[in-house]
Amino acid sequence: MSEFEPKLTAFVCTWCTYAGADLAGTSRIKYEPNVRLIRFPCTGRIDFMFILKAFENGADGVIVSGCHPNDCHYVCGNFHARRRWIVFRALVDFLGFDIKRLCFSWVSAAEGTAWAEIVNTFTEEVRALGPYNEYRDMDGTFTS
Amino acid sequence: MDKPRIGMYICWCGNNIAKMVDVEALAEEMASLPNVVVSKNYKYMCSDPGQDLIMKDIKEANLNRVVVAACSPRIHEMTFRKALQNAGLNPYLFQMANIREHVSWVHTDRAEATRKARALIRAAVTRVNHHIPLIERAVTIHPATLIIGGGISGINAALDIADAGKKVYLVEKSAELGGLASHVVEFYPYFDKGDAVIRPLIDRVEKHENIELFLETEVKDISGYVGNFETAITPKGGNEVKFSFGNIIVAVGLKPWDPSPLENYGYGRFPDIITSWEFDDWLAAGNLSKKNGKLPKNIAIIHCVGSRNSKYHEYCSRICCMVAIKYANQLRSALPDANIYELYADIRAISKGCEELYAATSRKRVMFIMFDQEHDLPEIIKADASDSCDMIIRVKDTRIRKRVEVPADMVILMVSMEARQSAKEVSHTVGVSLDKNHFFIEKHPKLDPVATTTNGVYIVGSCQGPKDLPDCVSQGRAAAARVLGSISRGTAHVEVTTAYINPALCSACRMCLDICPYTAISFDESRKVSGVNEVLCQGCGTCVALCRTKAINIQGCSNDQLMAELKALLLSDAG
Repeated sequence: MSEFEPKLTAFVCTWCTYAGADLAGTSRIKYEPNVRLIRFPCTGRIDFMFILKAFENGADGVIVSGCHPNDCHYVCGNFHARRRWIVFRALVDFLGFDIKRLCFSWVSAAEGTAWAEIVNTFTEEVRALGPYNEYRDMDGTFTS
Repeated sequence: MDKPRIGMYICWCGNNIAKMVDVEALAEEMASLPNVVVSKNYKYMCSDPGQDLIMKDIKEANLNRVVVAACSPRIHEMTFRKALQNAGLNPYLFQMANIREHVSWVHTDRAEATRKARALIRAAVTRVNHHIPLIERAVTIHPATLIIGGGISGINAALDIADAGKKVYLVEKSAELGGLASHVVEFYPYFDKGDAVIRPLIDRVEKHENIELFLETEVKDISGYVGNFETAITPKGGNEVKFSFGNIIVAVGLKPWDPSPLENYGYGRFPDIITSWEFDDWLAAGNLSKKNGKLPKNIAIIHCVGSRNSKYHEYCSRICCMVAIKYANQLRSALPDANIYELYADIRAISKGCEELYAATSRKRVMFIMFDQEHDLPEIIKADASDSCDMIIRVKDTRIRKRVEVPADMVILMVSMEARQSAKEVSHTVGVSLDKNHFFIEKHPKLDPVATTTNGVYIVGSCQGPKDLPDCVSQGRAAAARVLGSISRGTAHVEVTTAYINPALCSACRMCLDICPYTAISFDESRKVSGVNEVLCQGCGTCVALCRTKAINIQGCSNDQLMAELKALLLSDAG
């Protein structure tokens, strides 16, 4: 168990968080290597089924990150994402899903440091939670 | 489409990637992935030899898909897409894995970094199998231009476009052209007469054969897309006019703030406390006397009224410091014996000639007193009958760290500038977003300051934040150059990664019509299905995530592409 390293998937908007993660790179800010990014045109594009699919395929935690309110490249996509997020989170919580494995954040293209901090904090939190075997065991295809 | 034949290239980026990621081992490993025909690593993929490598392989190994694992796609995606195009391959049959900014530069353990790079590369290779060729489309540009706002920025844009022989529709909400600049008696720092600067421009606009002017008119609704916009406006007292245009320039400016909420400044309570803009009207009228008809002996000018204050406006209003210094000079000329006080928080004498004017003013018997804008604002009270002035300003002079009392018979409040109420409406009409202060957001704050993320819509002057006159003029004329360039080219490229609706799956719920920020989706009543106008669609994908029957998808960012990427990303980590 002490060897456990969480697998984190991040669904991010290309205009803000993806660029913020690029800035963390150009600024050589070091952070935990557990996170893998998937680039979306906007958080509004994120079908939240992707989040469940990520867990189904072995993720231990998922980050969704987009532009700060009012900064959306497409006017209001991040507001739609936020609304969906609220409903999604409440729904999966009700169904018994461990919502501590979900992280939603706003990270702008100028916030490389903030991105590194979010990844580090969330990695630490999910590391403490351990692997999410409960979810993967539900359909019997995975064994812990 | 033929069976995928993928070329996979890992870049060393000199030592930037290679020192932290085992590029050679990964290239060897990727060769065994399904459909990978070529798997190579090279020192600099973005260099000419690097691109040649790809182009040569496309031709010789008959590749029909390419993956490059290197820096961020935000840096070199276009470079490699062009290389594909040069080799005769559709540029969208390409995917990048970011193993520099997201891997080698941010991690310190070589094994972990290589592991992460492996996952990202496998995901990119798996995804590219699902890529399809996309065709870049061009639309023709209507040669007319709509300009909203007849202030100094809009006027300058209009004149440049009209002088080049192209039609301009200039729509101004008020009854006059010239905007706020037309209220200025003299401009800092050289004291040019306002009329002499502005009036000739207005005259030219009014007489120009290529400018159709609509005063007291508002643009309520615009349909169409870059190159092909349409509107219908109703001029005051006239009938509805419909016209088409290819580009839009927004120049709605801003407005002075009403300082009444700042009670310590007594605006509205004392007769001789006026705002900076009211003072220009006084100057224009040539009457500097107080309400009781007598000339003021002590005049105080208070800076940053509502600016740089977290309660009212966090930002600096850009022009007030220099206007205040200009006022001190105008007052000194008019009233040689008066006592003039400048109560300031910081002097921001930027732009050519401004610091020089500030220095010269301080030698003209003008007293500068610095106060603490955040914690200790000056307070104006009524003077006693025994005092030789009408009002007293209590202020802590932060430079001598002492409370002082400044006598005043007239106070000029340098009020902040804020977005117009109509900004929100206009932003919806033209499809450009506003920032938290309701200023229009430029496409890139440094490199593309007059364009917006909406094709064919430009924003100029102080509607994107407070500006001084030369900046407004530059922006108006910059946008004119951009518009003329687009008219001269005759066509514009539109976004290729756009949404499409599968009519067989559409349930006609029409929720996508409301959610689309670009009104790109319409409902076909006869077939009872929704459809996307590909030219209007910007590819945000909000409708894709919304659609409950999964009838909507985006080409170039489709559900199957993303799902393939996601699964491979996690599967690669499973071991």
